[in-house]
Amino acid sequence: MADLAARASTWWAIFQINFHEKLVYRGDFMLGTLMRFLPILTQIFLWSAIFSAKGESSGNAEIVGYTYYNIVAYYLLSTISRAFSSMPGLASGIALQIREGEIKKYLIQPLDLISFFLLNRIAHKLTYYIVAAVPFAIVFFLCRGYFAGWPPGHVLAAYFTSLVLSFMLGFFMEATIGMIGFWFLEVRSLLFVYMLFTFFLSGHMFPLDMLNELGGPWALIVKSLPLMYLAYFPAAVFLEKITGPELFWGLVVQVGWVVFFIIASRLSFHYGVKQYSAYGG
Amino acid sequence: MEDRPSYAAVFYMFLRNSLVRDLSFRSNFWIECVSSLSWVIMNLGFYLLIFSYTTSIGPNTGWGKWEFFVFLATTLLVNSLVQMFFMPNIQEFSELIRTGKLDFALLKPIDTQFLVSFEKVNWPSTANFLFGLLLMGISLFQLTHRPERPIELTATMVVTFVIFLLCGVAILYSLMIVLAASSIWLGRNTSLYDFWFYITSFSRYPMEIYNAGTLGMSLQLIFTFAIPILIVVNVPARIMAQPFGVSETQMWALPIYMLVATGMSLWFSRWVFKMSLRSYRSASS
Amino acid sequence: MPPIIQIEKLTKTYEVYQKQEGLLSSIRGLFHRQYKTVEAVKGIDLTVDQGEFVAFLGPNGAGKTTTLKLLSGVINPTSGSATVMGHVPWHRDNAYRRRFALVMGQKNQLWWDLPAQDSFRLHQKIYRIDADKFQRSQDELVDLLGVKELLSQPVRALSLGERMKMELIAALLHSPDVLFLDEPTIGLDVVAQHNIQQFLKHYQQERKITVLLTSHYMKDIAALCQRVVVIAHGVIIYDGSLSGIIDRFGGYKIVTLTFADDNAQGSLARFGDVISEDYPKVKLRVDRSRVGEVLASVLDQYELADVGVEDPPLEEVIADVFSLAHPGDKSANEKLAEASS
Repeated sequence: MADLAARASTWWAIFQINFHEKLVYRGDFMLGTLMRFLPILTQIFLWSAIFSAKGESSGNAEIVGYTYYNIVAYYLLSTISRAFSSMPGLASGIALQIREGEIKKYLIQPLDLISFFLLNRIAHKLTYYIVAAVPFAIVFFLCRGYFAGWPPGHVLAAYFTSLVLSFMLGFFMEATIGMIGFWFLEVRSLLFVYMLFTFFLSGHMFPLDMLNELGGPWALIVKSLPLMYLAYFPAAVFLEKITGPELFWGLVVQVGWVVFFIIASRLSFHYGVKQYSAYGG
Repeated sequence: MEDRPSYAAVFYMFLRNSLVRDLSFRSNFWIECVSSLSWVIMNLGFYLLIFSYTTSIGPNTGWGKWEFFVFLATTLLVNSLVQMFFMPNIQEFSELIRTGKLDFALLKPIDTQFLVSFEKVNWPSTANFLFGLLLMGISLFQLTHRPERPIELTATMVVTFVIFLLCGVAILYSLMIVLAASSIWLGRNTSLYDFWFYITSFSRYPMEIYNAGTLGMSLQLIFTFAIPILIVVNVPARIMAQPFGVSETQMWALPIYMLVATGMSLWFSRWVFKMSLRSYRSASS
Repeated sequence: MPPIIQIEKLTKTYEVYQKQEGLLSSIRGLFHRQYKTVEAVKGIDLTVDQGEFVAFLGPNGAGKTTTLKLLSGVINPTSGSATVMGHVPWHRDNAYRRRFALVMGQKNQLWWDLPAQDSFRLHQKIYRIDADKFQRSQDELVDLLGVKELLSQPVRALSLGERMKMELIAALLHSPDVLFLDEPTIGLDVVAQHNIQQFLKHYQQERKITVLLTSHYMKDIAALCQRVVVIAHGVIIYDGSLSGIIDRFGGYKIVTLTFADDNAQGSLARFGDVISEDYPKVKLRVDRSRVGEVLASVLDQYELADVGVEDPPLEEVIADVFSLAHPGDKSANEKLAEASS
C-alpha cells in the first residue's frame, strides 16, 4: 500500500514536471497543435479534387469503398490514432542516453528504465490530451458533418481498446528501436527510415484499403506489418470498415504485437546492458 | 585594405569545408542519401497509387499524371535546394541563440545573416536534387512525346523556369528565417522543423485544388498573398507543365506577382532577422 | 597618445522571465509573464592604455563577461559610452571588427568535425588576410604553441588544452590590436594552463597589443597582468596592482610566533584570532592597526625564539572581498564601498 502511494506520488511529480514544461512554451505549443491540422486540410482538398475529377456528383462516388465523406472522416480519425501511437523523441532519446553514457544512471539506481520511460510518456501524453483537447474538439465539431453519427457501443469499445493498444504498441516498438543504440552509435538514419515507414505504411497518408485493388503482394505485405495498427486499424474500426470476426482477430493480432514488442524491448535491454558493461564504459 | 570581405570566396570555403566534413563520415553520407531518396520514392508511390484511381487532380485543370509529375519534380528541386543550403543553418540559428554561440558570428567582419544562413551545406541533398532532375526529364519526355497536344520545350521556358525556381527557394528561405527568428521569441526551437513541415504542406499540390468553397478560396488568398507559400512550386511548375486549365491572365499575372513577393519576402526576412538580433543584443548579458 | 579603451558610465540591464511555482501560476503564465530586471553592469568607468594587460577579477555574475561582450559589440549597452581604438563597439563597423578578437574558454568557434586548419582558412577569407601574411602568422602561432602536427586532426579529437590553443590561433590570425580573453584557461590542467600563460605573455610583449582578461585562476593573473580591476555587482571596486589588493582589502596580517618554551601561559586569543596552534609555533590573525601593539605586549610577556609578520595569502583576501560582495547584503556592500573608497 505504501509502495503504491509512493509510486502515485512519483507519478504525480512526473506529471507536473511535464505539464509545466508544456506551459512554459505556451505560444509554441498552441500554434503547434493548430498547425497539426494543416497537412490534413491540404490532404482533404487533394481528395476533394480527385473525387470531383471523377465527374460524379460528390457524395456518391466511391474509391475502394470510401466516399469523399469517408475519406475526410478517415483522415481526422487517423490524427487521433497518431495522437495515441506517435512517440516523438522516444527512440532517439533512449539512443542518446546510451550514447552519452547517461544510461549508467539506470543501472545504478533502483529504477527500471523501461517503466520509467513508460511513466514519463503516459504523463507526457495525458498533458498533451488536456491541452490539445480544445483544438481537437473545435476541429471535430466543425467537421461533424463528415461523420455518419456515432457507431454502436461495442464498436466504440473496440475502438478505444485499439487506441490504447496502439499507444502501447507505439511505445514498445520505439523503445525497442531505441535500444539498438547499444549496438550502433549512429541510429539517426535508422530512425528516419522507421519514421518514413510509419508515415506511409501506418495509414497516416492514405487508407490502406487502397492497396487492395492495386494487385501484387503490396496489400498483404503492409497488412502483415505491425505499423498498420498505429493509425489505420483504429480509424477503420471506428468507420466500421472492419467488423465481426475480422475485428476480433484484428484486436487479437494487435495484442500479439504489443506482447511481442514488450518482450523484444526487455530482451534487447537485457542483452544491450550486457554488451554495454562488457565493452562500453 | 578593402572593407568588405569577398563573399564569393567565403561561400566557396563553406562549400568546401562542408564537403570535407560530409565525406569524412562517408557511411553516414550514403545512408543520408539513401534515406532521403526513399522518402521521395515513397511519395512517388503514393501519387502513383492516386493516379491508379483518377486521371487528373481536379476536373478540367490539366494536371494529369505527367503534368503532376513535373509539379512533383519542381517540388523536389525547390526542397532539395532549401535543404542543401538553408535547413541545417537555420535550424542551428536558434540553437546558436540558445547556447550563446551567436556571439562569435556577431564578431566577424562580415554580414551576420550571410554567415548564419550559409555556413553549413548539406551535400547529401544533392541526391534528391538529381532525382528531381531525372523525374523532370522523364515527365517532360512523356509530355513532349504524347500524341495529343505535345508540349514544345523552348529555351525561354527553361530559363524562366530556373528563375522562378530560385524565386521559390528565396521565398522558402525567407519563411524559414522568419520562423526561426520567431521561435526565439517563443522561447523554443525544437519544433521548427514541424512548423516548417506543416506550413509547406500547402506548397505540395497544384493550387487548383483550393478552387472549391469559401474555405478553399480563403486559403488560396492567404497562402498566396499573406504567406506566399502556394506560388513557390506552382508558378515554376506551370511554366514547365503548361496545364491547360490555367487562364491566360494567371499565366502572366502570377509570375509577375511572384517576383514582387520574392522581393518583399526577402526584405521582410531581413527585417525580422535584424529585429531578432536586436532583441538578442538587448536581452542577453 | 589617447587611451585605447575608454569606458564611461557604462550600464547594461536586461530582463529575465520569472517562472512561477505551482500549477495555477503556470497557467497564469500563459497569458501574463513576470519579468525581473537584472543589472549586470551598473556604471563602469575605465581607461586602458595601449599595450596594457588588464585582468578583470570578480565573483561569478559580477559583470566581467558582460563588459567584455559590450566592448566587443556583441551586445548593446543600456546606457553609457565606450570607445575602443576610436570605434564605438556596438556600431559594429567592419573596420573595428577586423582589429580585435574575443576568445571564450567555455565556447568554441572552430568547426567540430573538421581539422582546425580548415577553420583557419575560413577565417582567412572572412577577415580578408593576404595569403602570404596568413601563412606567416599561422606558421608563427603554430610554432609558438607547438601544435604543428595537430593541424590536420579533427577538432573533436583534440584535448581541451589543444583545442584552446587552436582557438587562440584562430583569434590571432588577423593580428588583432586588442584581445579580449574570457577565462581562457578554464578547465585546463596545470601544464596546459602554464603553456597558455607563457604563450600569452610572450605574444603580448612581442606585439605590444592590449589585452583584457577575465580569469578565476590567480596564477593566470599573477603571471600576466600588471593591472587588476576588481568588479563586483557590476561596479568597479578596485583598480590597481595585484599586490595593492592586499594593502587595500587585507585588513589584517598573519603573525607567526615561535615560543622558546613548549607552552605559553594564558590565552593568546586576546591578541587576535588564533589560526593554528602547533607549539612552539602559533599563528595569529591580527588587525593591521594593532600589529605594533600586539607585538610589543607579546615580546613583553613571553620569551620568543622567532617572530614573523606576513601579508595574508592573496587568494584569501580575494575570497574575503568576494564574500563581502554578497548580493542583498546591504551592510556588506557598504563595508565594501568604505574599503574601496
